Amino acid sequence: MENKTVTETKKYPDKPITLIVPFGVGGGMDLVARLLEKTAPAQLGQPLVILNKPGGTGAIGWNEVVGATPDGYTLGITGIEVLLQPLYGPTKFHYPTALEPLVQISESPMVMAILAEQPWENLDDFIAYAKQHQGKIKFGHSGIGGIGHVAGESFSKAAKLNLEQVPFQSAAEAMTNLLGGHVQVAFLTPALANEFVKSGMVRILGVAGEHRLSNPDFANTPTFKEQGLDVVGSSWFGIAAPKGLPIEVKNKLADGFKAMINDPEFQKNIEQLGLQVTYLDPKESAEKWLKDSQRLTKTVQETGIVEKIKEQKK
Amino acid sequence: MDILNLLLQGVSVSILPANLLSCIIGVLIGTLVGVLPGIDTVSAIALLLPFSYGMDSTAALIMFAGIYYGSKYGGSTTSILLNVPGEAASVVTCLDGYPMGQKGRAGAALAISAIGSFIAGTIGLIGLTLLAPPLAQAALAFGPPEYFSLSLVGLILLSKLTGTSTLKSALMAVIGIMLSTIGLDSLSGISRFTFGIDELDRGFDLSIIAMGLFGIGEILTAMTHADAKPDIPSVKFRDLYPTKEEWQRSITPMFRGGIVGFLVGLLPGPAATISSFISYGLEKRYSKHPEEFGHGAIEGVAGPEAANNSAISATMIPLLSLGLPFCGATAILLSGFMIHGITPGPSLITERPELFWGLIASMYIGNVLLLIINLPLIGVFVQLLKTPLNFLMPLVAVVTLTGAYSINNSMFDLIWVIFFGILGFLLQRAGFEPSPLIIGLVLGPELERGLTQGLIICNGNIWTFITRPLAATILSLGFIVILYNFVTWFTKFNNKRKELDANRS
Repeated sequence: MENKTVTETKKYPDKPITLIVPFGVGGGMDLVARLLEKTAPAQLGQPLVILNKPGGTGAIGWNEVVGATPDGYTLGITGIEVLLQPLYGPTKFHYPTALEPLVQISESPMVMAILAEQPWENLDDFIAYAKQHQGKIKFGHSGIGGIGHVAGESFSKAAKLNLEQVPFQSAAEAMTNLLGGHVQVAFLTPALANEFVKSGMVRILGVAGEHRLSNPDFANTPTFKEQGLDVVGSSWFGIAAPKGLPIEVKNKLADGFKAMINDPEFQKNIEQLGLQVTYLDPKESAEKWLKDSQRLTKTVQETGIVEKIKEQKK
Repeated sequence: MDILNLLLQGVSVSILPANLLSCIIGVLIGTLVGVLPGIDTVSAIALLLPFSYGMDSTAALIMFAGIYYGSKYGGSTTSILLNVPGEAASVVTCLDGYPMGQKGRAGAALAISAIGSFIAGTIGLIGLTLLAPPLAQAALAFGPPEYFSLSLVGLILLSKLTGTSTLKSALMAVIGIMLSTIGLDSLSGISRFTFGIDELDRGFDLSIIAMGLFGIGEILTAMTHADAKPDIPSVKFRDLYPTKEEWQRSITPMFRGGIVGFLVGLLPGPAATISSFISYGLEKRYSKHPEEFGHGAIEGVAGPEAANNSAISATMIPLLSLGLPFCGATAILLSGFMIHGITPGPSLITERPELFWGLIASMYIGNVLLLIINLPLIGVFVQLLKTPLNFLMPLVAVVTLTGAYSINNSMFDLIWVIFFGILGFLLQRAGFEPSPLIIGLVLGPELERGLTQGLIICNGNIWTFITRPLAATILSLGFIVILYNFVTWFTKFNNKRKELDANRS
């Protein structure tokens, strides 16, 4: 029996590997998965088969990954929601512990966007205005409890403002409403804001990351931390497997994905999607999950997001 | 003249052999996607994305766009022939297209729908060519309070499309709205009415309910008279095409549908579907034969099929000039663009004119190609109706169920298709028309979202809505129409009473 497993793991992978995408076709996560699909046969030795299992903000797909046999033939693509979901109430599995991260692919910090025609040149102008005009400023984001909402609320709290939030169905919808002047601020990914920054329609007041963005269009945009506010919130994409993967399989996958992410063509494609390649190996990913989980737990409690969601769930 | 020059340059790009070939492939795949129920534009483009990596970016975009607008041509085919909507935007075509088919006029219905699609698609394209940037800016003026107003007025005006009983129609619309609240609330992320079943979080996909109510429902109805021979008389070639009278009745609806579709297409939401319903409502109101609607009125096919095609052209406007997708299908198109290193946005027209104009020119060409592909296919499709029902219906069931499964790769959805099929069958028996349910399902979420977001934006005061000029205009237009209906109803009622009184004395 034992021998059989050993030979099986040695032969791994000898059939296609299923990659579960817990969101719909065409979303950011789905696109990253499809880019991986493109380079997989060369680097993993087997094709990746993408299976979209949308629903429950990722829960349906991730439940399936957790429940799969940990043989390396069923993997899932992951995002920040893996950490956020369990904070808002009981989920079927506690994803941060039930899943084993193999790699982080990309990371993008949220940015705070306003219309360029607004009189606020920088964050201080904005904060001064918002303090004088209570209830005038509303910020848009891509859904309650999402990372855009978390970043917005933690900014609102750090700057001692009482900004009201307007949830939208997607970040693109939040952007549309920012451009139409229906909300004054939007917290979203740099990828979405990029074209409007370039054309001079939108100004970015702060980046919710540890460092400035490497994209030249954002090179002059300071982080919130530089401006004295502790506001950090990034969305990221990664790959995870169900817990209990044989070590040989895990190593093979980690190496394979590393090679895929280092592939220059893959990097070029990822950048075309407006994402920043930020590779982390399995150990670093696990450490990041732990650290982010702790920080997010604190943030969502302090900003009252958890309370708000629990209240609505009643 | 400047635009004409640019467009001519675009034509020179789009007739390059590689681009022309991609256009042909795109519209062919699009037609197929439209004809097959359950396979929607979004999944078709997503499946093809990996194959497009090796292609030149312009060619790839031309192909994706071809799939997108091509799918709306084919959508009506199964609606007319089998009462199974191939696309959500063709649900309304079932209402009159299928009865036409039953009367042996399937060929005419298919031809009118193809020609209407062509005319309206071209109207939409002209709008796109001339007015893209200013219209995109204008669309931004619509915020949540405006969407709330539009959906409210839409629901009131559209829920009584067919049938005679206002009460029954309203009931169906309400059930539609109720069904739309099941699942994860798109704003708060809270599960509603799911009883802890994870699969219900996704909510009911519009296509699942439409395929059930119309498609499976029709199969069950057919089963109740399974031994009946299809009473389609052998169709002569001449009969495949519309008569002069059918033509004359269709031409105004086509243009009207084209304009309505274009305007609706500028706004976020499932524009193609909504515009087809609006067009149907309009045609019924303006028709000289409103009593024929629901029993095979050609206007009920011409208008909606035109509307959903010009809506498609209009949805390209916010995508190309702002880089913002206003519906699911343009979202996947945007992904396709980005994978090929092209980011649509305010600067696309100036930075990549050859791409922008090439794409638009290819859409003109694609529309002509679609007409050339679709007209001869009518003869083939109509032959399908000669198949005895006891062979045809099981086949339709297989195609419908396979399509339903493929939407989310979910067995759970299959159960619901069958459930809604049985419901559709029972409703039909009880004299309920299922189309208001679809309207409730489409507009319900828009209404709710507009209200929630609008209230936050207006600091919780709903009266602020009517201080916004656009919202106020929409609401008062709706109010006037309702008032008008009420007055005409009251006058009729009064006249009838006087008549009865006169008779008595």
